[in-house]
Amino acid sequence: MLERGKISALQMAFMMNPTILATGLLLVPAITAKTAKQDLWLSPIWASFIGFMIVFVAYRLHKLYPKETMFEYSEQILGKIPGKMVGAIFVFYYFHVTGIIVREYGEFISGTFLHQTPMVVVFSTMIIVSAMAVYGGLEVIGRCSEMIVPVLLVLYLVIFVMLLKDLDTKNFFPMLENGLGPSLKGSVVLQSWFSEFILVSFFFPYLRDHDKGMKWGMISVFSVMFYMVLTNVMALLLFGKLTASLTYPVMVAARYISIAEFLAHLESIVIALWVAGTFIKITVFYYVLVLGIAQWLKLSDFRSIVLPIGFLLVLFGVWSAPNLQVLSHFLSTSAPFYLLSIQAGIPVILLIIAWIKKKRQQMKGKLIG
Amino acid sequence: MKMVYLLGTTLLVLLMVLSQLEKINKNQKKDKVVLIVFSVFGWLIAILLIFFPDVPGPSELIDVLYKPLGKLLE
Repeated sequence: MLERGKISALQMAFMMNPTILATGLLLVPAITAKTAKQDLWLSPIWASFIGFMIVFVAYRLHKLYPKETMFEYSEQILGKIPGKMVGAIFVFYYFHVTGIIVREYGEFISGTFLHQTPMVVVFSTMIIVSAMAVYGGLEVIGRCSEMIVPVLLVLYLVIFVMLLKDLDTKNFFPMLENGLGPSLKGSVVLQSWFSEFILVSFFFPYLRDHDKGMKWGMISVFSVMFYMVLTNVMALLLFGKLTASLTYPVMVAARYISIAEFLAHLESIVIALWVAGTFIKITVFYYVLVLGIAQWLKLSDFRSIVLPIGFLLVLFGVWSAPNLQVLSHFLSTSAPFYLLSIQAGIPVILLIIAWIKKKRQQMKGKLIG
Repeated sequence: MKMVYLLGTTLLVLLMVLSQLEKINKNQKKDKVVLIVFSVFGWLIAILLIFFPDVPGPSELIDVLYKPLGKLLE
């Protein structure tokens, strides 16, 4: 076993929450508003079905191969060479996706806060911090998120409460003007975010309380859905039709808060939320990538490749898109299908093959018996 | 200027490899090879990006593969 640390199911739920939400909270309202219009608050609910399904699939696979992660059981299910190829797809995929996340972080920080700093510096500082956490192993990441995430969730609610008096419920209407179609179409992009829940399959083998894994996984999906609905409602009621044209609606919303001219400039809270949340998100992806490569190539320890992979992640961040417009376009057109086919498609196929294999073995057992 | 970047990157990669090589157990030959391969791979991409910043990246590759589906959402 490469990873000797153990985490609790609650820690896993805390880890997964910002892993989906961090980039989601800022970019999602604008992307969904483009297609779903005033029904954008419904989209996360449709999209969360894929999250529940994926946690279920990951848990079923975990039951069949209790001590292994995706990289290991794909070899058992498909055979050596096809299994290694699936591993290669995942390695490329996680390099690319983590690069995109690092890029989103860099674009946000240098676009709203550090205008003069070169983006590579913004990337590198985050990767160095994450590298330390990854070096510490799973337990360190679990404890970090146990400390950071509750604060994030509460602060986010505080922002929503402070905006309450500015919200205009007229923006909800006309509800379902063109039927369910637009909100379903808007949920496609969100589904790709929810499909990132397949990361739980890398944590199930290291849970201290195995039987609670499914329960907390589902609770995590639900909390993500709740916060996404909250964000979209907030953006919709505050900006109405404008939402689609803003890049970071939540950021603008936080700037808007001014209570008795005393509580103002709360965007610093949003930046703090975002940096802390993205730290967990990048660390989780980075950790899965490092652990995955170590399992894929059967290394004796994953710690030796942490730094070279961090270096590659900075480069993938630079390489993944020329600017924010192109990145946002990619995220709202081709990327959803790319993410879904790899994060939902491959695990479902693996599960079906594993089930058929198991049935066959049982049949053989019966014939001999 | 580009030469400075090149030298800096080379130095960084060398430091990274040397500091990590020490920590790997002598018998673990495979770990050492993997470490060096990933570092060299990173170094090559870094050089590529220093001299040709506009070279098509992984997102372009995926865009080509998934374009027909992506059009549905435009």
